[in-house]
Amino acid sequence: MPSVNLNVSYAPFVRTKDSIESVMYNVALALAPATIMSVWLFGMRALLVTLVCILSCIGFEWLMDTIRKKPASCLDGSALVTGLLLALNVPSNLPFWMLIIGSFIAIAAAKHVFGGLGYNIFNPALVARVFLLISFPAAMTSWPVPFAVDMETAASPLGILKTDGVAAAMKSLDLVNGFYGTMNGSMGETSTLALLAGAGWLFYKRYITFHIPLTMLGSVFLFTAIFHLIDPAAYAPPLFHMVTGGLILGTFFMATDMVTSPLSVRGQLIFGLGCGLLTAIIRLWGGYPEGVSFAILIMNGFVPLIDSWDLNDRKAIHQKKSVTT
Amino acid sequence: MPLPAELSIPLSQHLGKPAKPVVRMNDEVKKGQLVGEADGFISANVHASTSGKVRAIRPHPHPGGQYAMTVFITPDGKDEWAEGLNSAPVDWKGMSKEEILKKIRDAGVVGMGGAGFPTNVKLSPPPDKKIDTIILNGAECEPFLTADHRLMVESPEAVVAGLEIMASLFPGTLKLAIGIEANKPDAIDALQQYAVPKKIEVLALKTKYPQGAEKQLINAITGRNVGEGELPFDRGCIVQNIGTAVAVYDAVCRNRPLIERVVTVSGMEIARQKNISARIGTSFSDIIAFCGGMSEKTNQVISGGPMMGKAIFSLDVPVVKTTSGILFINNSALGKSRERACIRCGRCVEVCPQGLAPWLLANVAQLRQLEKIQLLGLANCTECGSCTYVCPSGRELVHWIKYAKALVSSRKQRKSA
Amino acid sequence: MISDAFIPAVSSLGAVALALGLIIHYVSKRFHVEEDPTVKLVNSILPGVNCGACGFPSCNQFAEVLVETRNNAMTCPVGGPDLAVKLGETLGMAMAEPKAQTAVVLCQGKNDVARRSAQYLGIQDCWAATQAFAGPKQCRYSCIGLGSCIAWCDFGAMRLENGLIVIDKNLCTGCAACIPVCPTGVLVMQDKKAARYFIACNSHDRGAATKKACDAGCTACQKCVKVCEDNAIVIEDFLARIIQEKCTACGKCIEVCPTKVNCIRLERDLNAVKQAS
Ligand code: SF4
Ligand code: SF4
Ligand code: SF4
Ligand code: SF4
Repeated sequence: MPSVNLNVSYAPFVRTKDSIESVMYNVALALAPATIMSVWLFGMRALLVTLVCILSCIGFEWLMDTIRKKPASCLDGSALVTGLLLALNVPSNLPFWMLIIGSFIAIAAAKHVFGGLGYNIFNPALVARVFLLISFPAAMTSWPVPFAVDMETAASPLGILKTDGVAAAMKSLDLVNGFYGTMNGSMGETSTLALLAGAGWLFYKRYITFHIPLTMLGSVFLFTAIFHLIDPAAYAPPLFHMVTGGLILGTFFMATDMVTSPLSVRGQLIFGLGCGLLTAIIRLWGGYPEGVSFAILIMNGFVPLIDSWDLNDRKAIHQKKSVTT
Repeated sequence: MPLPAELSIPLSQHLGKPAKPVVRMNDEVKKGQLVGEADGFISANVHASTSGKVRAIRPHPHPGGQYAMTVFITPDGKDEWAEGLNSAPVDWKGMSKEEILKKIRDAGVVGMGGAGFPTNVKLSPPPDKKIDTIILNGAECEPFLTADHRLMVESPEAVVAGLEIMASLFPGTLKLAIGIEANKPDAIDALQQYAVPKKIEVLALKTKYPQGAEKQLINAITGRNVGEGELPFDRGCIVQNIGTAVAVYDAVCRNRPLIERVVTVSGMEIARQKNISARIGTSFSDIIAFCGGMSEKTNQVISGGPMMGKAIFSLDVPVVKTTSGILFINNSALGKSRERACIRCGRCVEVCPQGLAPWLLANVAQLRQLEKIQLLGLANCTECGSCTYVCPSGRELVHWIKYAKALVSSRKQRKSA
Repeated sequence: MISDAFIPAVSSLGAVALALGLIIHYVSKRFHVEEDPTVKLVNSILPGVNCGACGFPSCNQFAEVLVETRNNAMTCPVGGPDLAVKLGETLGMAMAEPKAQTAVVLCQGKNDVARRSAQYLGIQDCWAATQAFAGPKQCRYSCIGLGSCIAWCDFGAMRLENGLIVIDKNLCTGCAACIPVCPTGVLVMQDKKAARYFIACNSHDRGAATKKACDAGCTACQKCVKVCEDNAIVIEDFLARIIQEKCTACGKCIEVCPTKVNCIRLERDLNAVKQAS
């Protein structure tokens, strides 16, 4: 008998190939089309913004791990995704120091203060975005015009909607352009097409399910459609809401964030619905032109409640009939 | 396979109390002779699996991971049956209910799927529980294992006869069913031939894990839900393993105690993968030699299946009545993976067949909140391992759950002591 | 402009704060419970670690019950004789002295002494390991060496050293919290003595098996039993035990023990020595 090295561990002895890394790097990959699109639209400056965000997020992650004496997690991909999402959520002309502050807020304040990946209640990139929006409202809402050479800025279609009304907003935007992404806005949120392509990849890899996106987009669509039907002059058509602002980015990449969304399917449906309704309400009547970030953050806060409701309610065993013949 | 140089037969191969040894050192025993007598109601007889001499009785590694009192037999090579055993097939139809149950008990038949619950006990439910369904579990309990599959293809008549014998123990007409996963058409065909004339349904089930678990099987076949804290007979059902049915047939019609079983030898690191019929007490090292040896890359040898088996800590452990398979693997993730925080992906909740929240159970177990964890349905976990399998954070979910179960039961023991 | 928004905001918040403050004040006055000053006093002398060694969940409860029942048999093992004297002075009665005890590990199976079985790569916790198999050492009675017990010691008296738990007897207060949490039961309590001999082995395996598994294992060879003039050593189920009450600490047994790493251990207790002199 050859002497072998017997190792004892606990069952099961086969494990999924998926890991935190594979999940995170796939999300990053799914964000690639939108990133490329933003570089195409807003030029090299967009690339620099992306790099600054990613590097500073990874750097702060390393720093926090070191301070907290935790095993290094800076390369597990989560900081990369946070940085990428933050970059895609800001105008491409934002000063670098603001980006670094944003990264610090995202990693240190929104994530590590709560205990690191898995323990954070709020989506780090969104917290950073909202922090920047509140602290530097002017810088965060002067959007560079696509393909502009001289950093010309203008309001986004949603901004125009808020200040100048439906007619002006509709005139400023051709819905088809909005779908492709040639409009003013944050780096990554303009191109619905590129975002959907990335989301398709995540669906294919089964890293996200349709529950949250469907209820969220559906409720925004329905809600805005109802008001558009009541008064077309005061309320923009639902498709306008679909392609503008951060709705698509937020829906597919931030509301679906595993850590900050409910675990159960039922919970996810409620969560998506809440995000959608809040988004629509803020857009229609709120003080800010855009409401996706706030809506998701508010619903993030309700996740523990939704989860514990689900847990207490979960009595029946979900067994499905499985006789095939 | 050839007779090994020594057999080590543990006195505990079943759920419940270990058997009491009834032989002593240097005793001569015959094949099939009783060496351990059932001790108490939930216990089972243990027999010598060949003729020879008792060399020692002492604790020895057991494939379940612990040590157990074990009877060592040095075979004399004659392989002589004890008197009255291994008779020509007799007809069971004339036998009384008591006679059949006694034969099953005497032969030491236990559930051969994994838990090893004494079969005669399972077949004598409390009188107030009316049994109307007996199900044979042809859905292999775990991936990789094919021992039951082979039995179904090779001796379908014994399988069917075993089921009939069990059915005869209950009054009235019963629903008899054999559930087989749909990816085993040859087994379905083989059984259908014998089962259909006897009004036994052969049902194809979806191929998925854990289809072979009792509760899932009952639900799939009868649509009944065995709820929290209930046993199958509370819902009028008895589930038996294919191997057990054959053992029942052998015990009742051929007077053969359970001293041999089909074991699936599998995994990438063993030279010849196959199903072998091994005597109870054959050590794993003998089986390795018989199957052409294992490769240097083997880093884990598993008794049972990949999802619920146990990694053994010594190659001296013997095949026991519940050893459905032996796997030889190179687990490359071993030692590299580290548990990380739950990223709340929800996959474990999605896959748990018992509708639990494994991530939460594990977190609470880690904090040793033993009262809270019981409220979360700790006792309902069947330890199927699905949750650990899917977790991208590498969390040892079912191990934490098992850990909590151990702490809870030790605390209960301490309280009652 | 600023004051327009500012003044109402600050004044309304201030009003709310004032109202809440008044309510809290009222509630605390209205529902004030008079605490027995003796209980308070007793509580202040107690160690205040809430370890549970006395049988009460907290030091405060111990104090309450003691003051109420004046039961002088109640003891706090952590505080020891000193505390008993102080408590007696405070309450004006003679308190029973707790027996000074300490936890000991009946195992010396460090990694270089005890042979290993298989490598364990699961959750690093003794209980978790026992769910997977008999333990990473060949001897299944041994200290598993993953330190489950450490978390239960409120006094930081336990640490792991080369695969074996080690108890710092200067820190151990004898609270016994660690005893029931060990899955193999190698921890026991013993009275503190100036010089204390005990068999530091827990293996009930037969001599040959023990010897194969560990250099420090008691093989039940009977040598120590024969040499002991006070009949203080008994062998039960292949394991020797020194009956503490009978042992006179002559040290003869330790000389005849043939095991490679002597399984009979002598522990001197400086504190106990001090008290005795
Ligand atoms: S092992 Fe996991 S998936 Fe299986 S029943 Fe238990 S909690 Fe559910
Ligand atoms: S599968 Fe793992 S990471 Fe996902 S929710 Fe369950 S425990 Fe958490
Ligand atoms: S004494 Fe017991 S609990 Fe402590 S490390 Fe050893 S085996 Fe584990
Ligand atoms: S070692 Fe044990 S007895 Fe000693 S203080 Fe720690 S928990 Fe208490």
